[in-house]
Amino acid sequence: MEMDELSYSSRMVNWSPLGKLFFVMALLIVGLITDSIVVPLITFTIGVALMAYSTNLKVPLILGLAILEAILIMVLGSGMISIMGDHSAPAIWEGKILWFDIYMTEESFNKAWLIFFRAVAGVTLMLAFACSTPIPHLAQAFRSLHFPSEITELIVLVYRYAFLLLEKFLVMIDAAQCRLGYNGTMTTMRSYGGAMAGTFIFSMELADKSEAALACRNYNGYFPIFRPPKSMSWAWAVVSIGLAVLLYFVGEYTKGWINMVQLFAPLFGW
Amino acid sequence: MVELFRMEDVTFAHNPSLPPVLNGFNLSIEEGSRTAILGANGAGKTTLFYTLTGVYKPQQGQVLFKGSPVEYTKEGLRNLRSDVAVVLQNPDEQIFCSLVEEDVAFGPLNLGVDRDEVEERVTKALRDVRMSEYARRPLQQLSGGQRKRVAIAGALAMHPKILIMDEPTAGLDPQASMEVMEMAERLRLSGVTVMISTHDIDIVYKWASISDVLNSGRIEFSGNSEEFYSDPERVYRCGLLTPTVFNMNLDVSFINGIDPSPYPRNCCEFTAKFSGASRSGTIHCIPAGEEDALAKYEAAIADCRDVDVGVYGSNSRYALRDSRVNFRFDAMDACFTDAVRGRDSVLIYDSVFEPLIKEQAARLKEFGFDTSLEGCR
Repeated sequence: MEMDELSYSSRMVNWSPLGKLFFVMALLIVGLITDSIVVPLITFTIGVALMAYSTNLKVPLILGLAILEAILIMVLGSGMISIMGDHSAPAIWEGKILWFDIYMTEESFNKAWLIFFRAVAGVTLMLAFACSTPIPHLAQAFRSLHFPSEITELIVLVYRYAFLLLEKFLVMIDAAQCRLGYNGTMTTMRSYGGAMAGTFIFSMELADKSEAALACRNYNGYFPIFRPPKSMSWAWAVVSIGLAVLLYFVGEYTKGWINMVQLFAPLFGW
Repeated sequence: MVELFRMEDVTFAHNPSLPPVLNGFNLSIEEGSRTAILGANGAGKTTLFYTLTGVYKPQQGQVLFKGSPVEYTKEGLRNLRSDVAVVLQNPDEQIFCSLVEEDVAFGPLNLGVDRDEVEERVTKALRDVRMSEYARRPLQQLSGGQRKRVAIAGALAMHPKILIMDEPTAGLDPQASMEVMEMAERLRLSGVTVMISTHDIDIVYKWASISDVLNSGRIEFSGNSEEFYSDPERVYRCGLLTPTVFNMNLDVSFINGIDPSPYPRNCCEFTAKFSGASRSGTIHCIPAGEEDALAKYEAAIADCRDVDVGVYGSNSRYALRDSRVNFRFDAMDACFTDAVRGRDSVLIYDSVFEPLIKEQAARLKEFGFDTSLEGCR
């Protein structure tokens, strides 16, 4: 819900959703096809700048925590990659922790950092896109890309009812809390189970009622948009492709510039 | 009067293994009428509304719209629904889009209305329900009452010929409830037939000309409200209660040893019947529009000092919204009550409501009270 509120209050909400998507995808792809760490660092900076502009530097705590959690997962993933180096290459760190054989090579260490920066840059860019693009705008972008209408309309339906069901679930949780539904672990589990089952039953009831209500409003399989978001202009294509090409050459030029092993060597005595 | 809807021996069950919700149901709705559909929970009111809009097809009997049986084809239903709009009891079942204005525009856009026209309708409908400032807000950020208003605005924007409102005042604050009834009157005066189902007996008693009472899927009563409420056993059987004004009239008439008839339906009529007032206060009637309401209000308070000011109608209220006017809700009743008490008042109203003022003055004559109206043509 916070994400939805954030997207509607974003300063970028009126930008073309298709343009934003194209821009983000272009940067993500260029980040993946270049082997230089510099490119993901640049795309990460662009992502952070866009997010800061979009939210007017007011990133909600819950979103900040979500980003931190994602970074933590990436740290763990990259850490695993770094310690599973190729045994034919010389190790910069070798050992055993519990059941894990650690064999870190220069290549695996640099690769882990590259993957980490790519992932962080990707998440930041996608978050910048998500916190500035409400789902109906995204659906409209899909429509203009001639996605199958069944998929697009389903996205809109799921989006609408997800909120209603979530609200219902929270009401049930509160109601259970009022009746000491969290008094003990077993009771808590039972309360959550009951709320989930209740939400599921409610979803079926809601589906029936909503179908009738939509019929009353002359719904004929298409959700019209009252104020369609801006369509993608040539400027978006030119800027996105131009920046992607530029970053590609920057990547090629800066390949091997940053060696993470050399950076960390004084710290770890490699 | 032209008959708009006719239901003949309609039987409908959600599931053949369950007892029918509507059982041999007969109903007639006339054009321009103020129809109240009353009944306890589970009496079949919502099913009735869905049957009228063609969502439910009766297993037996038929529904006639403007004299022709409803056609359950895509085209037939589209024609029916472009004339009939429904406001459902639970707004979450009705409102769909993510933004307020998007949802209000949903119906008209589905009808293929021109975008400029849709824009105009959305602005007007949102203003009528006092939701203009929420136009660009996501619906999940609104409270239950606000969502209800959006649902009503969505129906208003369709410019229907018949408006069916299922519990329109449930979950609304008293002022918003009054506004809904006011809106119903505005629509009726502009030629829309309004049907309201509600459990708020007091509000609907004041408003309805016809009451149709449902009980276990059948029509228990159809006609003048007083006839129904005069039979307490029947009222009890239908799971309802008698309105406060009706009860008070019975009791005070009994104490005074007079005939309960004519039956007052609102505060001013009740006061007129029992006050025995000799002198009428003057109601300075000022029909206004959105453009001139403020100027007329300022002129009125300059002319008539120390009088109460009532504002009736969303346009006038909207025009005076920032001017810190100390006006009263349900202004028409309040000003007429003042008149009965011999006090002068100023009534600023949307000009569309002029017939209503005359109607109220005429009804007060039935109670032997001649209202002094100034400025009412």
